[in-house]
Amino acid sequence: MAASTIDRRRARDFYIFVMPWLLGTVLLTIFPLAYAFGISLTNWDGISPGFSWVGLENYSNVLTDPDTWASLTRTGLLALVIVPVTVAASLGLAVLLNGKVVFRAGWRTLIYLPAIVPPVAAALTWKLIFDRDVGAINGIRSLFGLDAVNWLTGNQVFLVLVAVMLWGVGGGVIINLAALQDVSVEQHEAAELDGASPWQRFLAVTLPALSPILLFQVITTTIGVLQTFVPALLLSPATGPAAITAVPEANRVFMIDVYAQYFAFSRYGYASAMLWLFFVAILLLTGAFFKISGRTVFYAVDPRDAEAKP
Amino acid sequence: MSVDLSPTAAAVEPAPEPVRTPSPDRRRSRARQARRGRTTRLLVLAVVTTALIFPVYWIVATSLKSSSQLGQGSMVWLPLPPHVENFVHAVTAIPFAAYLGNSLFLSTVSGVLTTLSSAFVGYGFARLQGPGKKVLFGVLIAMMMMPGIVTLIPIYLLFSRVGLVGTYWPWVLWGLSGAPYLIFLYRQFFAGIPKELEEAAILDGCSQFRIFAQIFLPLSKPVLVTAFVMSFLAVWGDFIAPNLLLDREHTTLAVAISSGYVNAQGFPLNNLIAAGSVLYVVPVVVIFLFVQRHYVQGFTASGIK
Repeated sequence: MAASTIDRRRARDFYIFVMPWLLGTVLLTIFPLAYAFGISLTNWDGISPGFSWVGLENYSNVLTDPDTWASLTRTGLLALVIVPVTVAASLGLAVLLNGKVVFRAGWRTLIYLPAIVPPVAAALTWKLIFDRDVGAINGIRSLFGLDAVNWLTGNQVFLVLVAVMLWGVGGGVIINLAALQDVSVEQHEAAELDGASPWQRFLAVTLPALSPILLFQVITTTIGVLQTFVPALLLSPATGPAAITAVPEANRVFMIDVYAQYFAFSRYGYASAMLWLFFVAILLLTGAFFKISGRTVFYAVDPRDAEAKP
Repeated sequence: MSVDLSPTAAAVEPAPEPVRTPSPDRRRSRARQARRGRTTRLLVLAVVTTALIFPVYWIVATSLKSSSQLGQGSMVWLPLPPHVENFVHAVTAIPFAAYLGNSLFLSTVSGVLTTLSSAFVGYGFARLQGPGKKVLFGVLIAMMMMPGIVTLIPIYLLFSRVGLVGTYWPWVLWGLSGAPYLIFLYRQFFAGIPKELEEAAILDGCSQFRIFAQIFLPLSKPVLVTAFVMSFLAVWGDFIAPNLLLDREHTTLAVAISSGYVNAQGFPLNNLIAAGSVLYVVPVVVIFLFVQRHYVQGFTASGIK
């Protein structure tokens, strides 16, 4: 009897504490998603008061539109370039910084610095580096007698987007550096005594210990890259509301496509269907991640060790 | 994608040819190898760091060039004398102070609300029990992966119907509901605190609120700093939400610098764009340098690393 009152009070306390987040999730995530799903079943243009229900027509239109597959391919290509390079480079740099190196703190700060630059400033910076007339890249080309290139139009703008996104590699370096602190020193020393080369030690000791955090980075970077929007938009030659439709084809990634369908072409139903398909894809990806990783990544501290038991 | 997640499996693999006592010869060649390794490492670091820092130099250099130095066919690598007056123009060509105020206000309000709310919810997940907790925690983890832009556009559509577009209320609501990642950070931190701490308080009849506010919150200072800085910088750096949800008058610096600096013909004023960007990024760098130590501590304390 007494125990159940305590249980009930504990349950009440738990729900009071998680209530702000729970309400927020319902109001700011679940409800908007449901609303978008509703719109995706209509032909609403966002302006007219009237609309009609079209069922799943938008979904079949999205899936059969070659533009969808083109922008998905571009987005996938971006992920194929950015994810391996970012994860491998941030691991390599972290291992370098973890060894005996002079000015270690200085290198670390300098490598991390670009990662904290907000995306708007990062995009504007790279736009100035690749500018046709005042950019450093064309400046270097002219030193070698090469002609100026229009980097911000045509297919080559994809390279600029890649540069903007690789610039943040330092974020992963910091995470890996923290994780490297946990790699067993004893195992390293034992392997060294056994005559293992640094490369063998890296493969046999460091890499397995870091694998959960690397997997975490692969997934978060992948999801991040699939959502790419701001850099692609800001590398557009136009600014303001005209920017979205002026994004060169090579940079028309999936989210640019979605945004343009909403706000440039007023196809709210169609765009909402795109949004939902994207959401489901991310959901599946996240699910696959949990299936692969189990709970190793997220349960570094087991709360059961510390919790008060009744 | 199959990754071996058991750290021991690969680690116990026998290393080839065990040499317990290296000969002096071998030791000498090892030393030479180590020295060469150190030089290579430094070289790689220097090259990578130069590539990463050059853009910073370029934006600062561009911000110090005159408009004639930015004309076609005149590549200036080092703007001397520096045209510092660009910074004066950058803050007067657009209502810079007003946008700065908007950014500061929105980021601070958001940061404080998000930090406190996340701590509150994180405490619930770390220390309290209730039916459905496991499921809710699963939802929380899933929300960490939730792509922000997917909910943002529908939120814009909904909020424009109820007149919340053009106000800061969306940020207040986001702040009050906490951020999944920060909730997780706090939960990890609070879960690691020994239970003896609160047992005495429970025996004294303290409510969970007092235990949270008087025992746990003060203990979480490193996480508090990390969480505030992260949520402050998230709003400071955000472009999509203010671009969608705020009008020209209420918008933030991030939106203003991306489209404000154009001449009468609509062409971009590159030196002012650069100067505005520098002014926009400097607070971020200063904050970061101040809290760098705390920041890493907060990550370490969270156990996520």
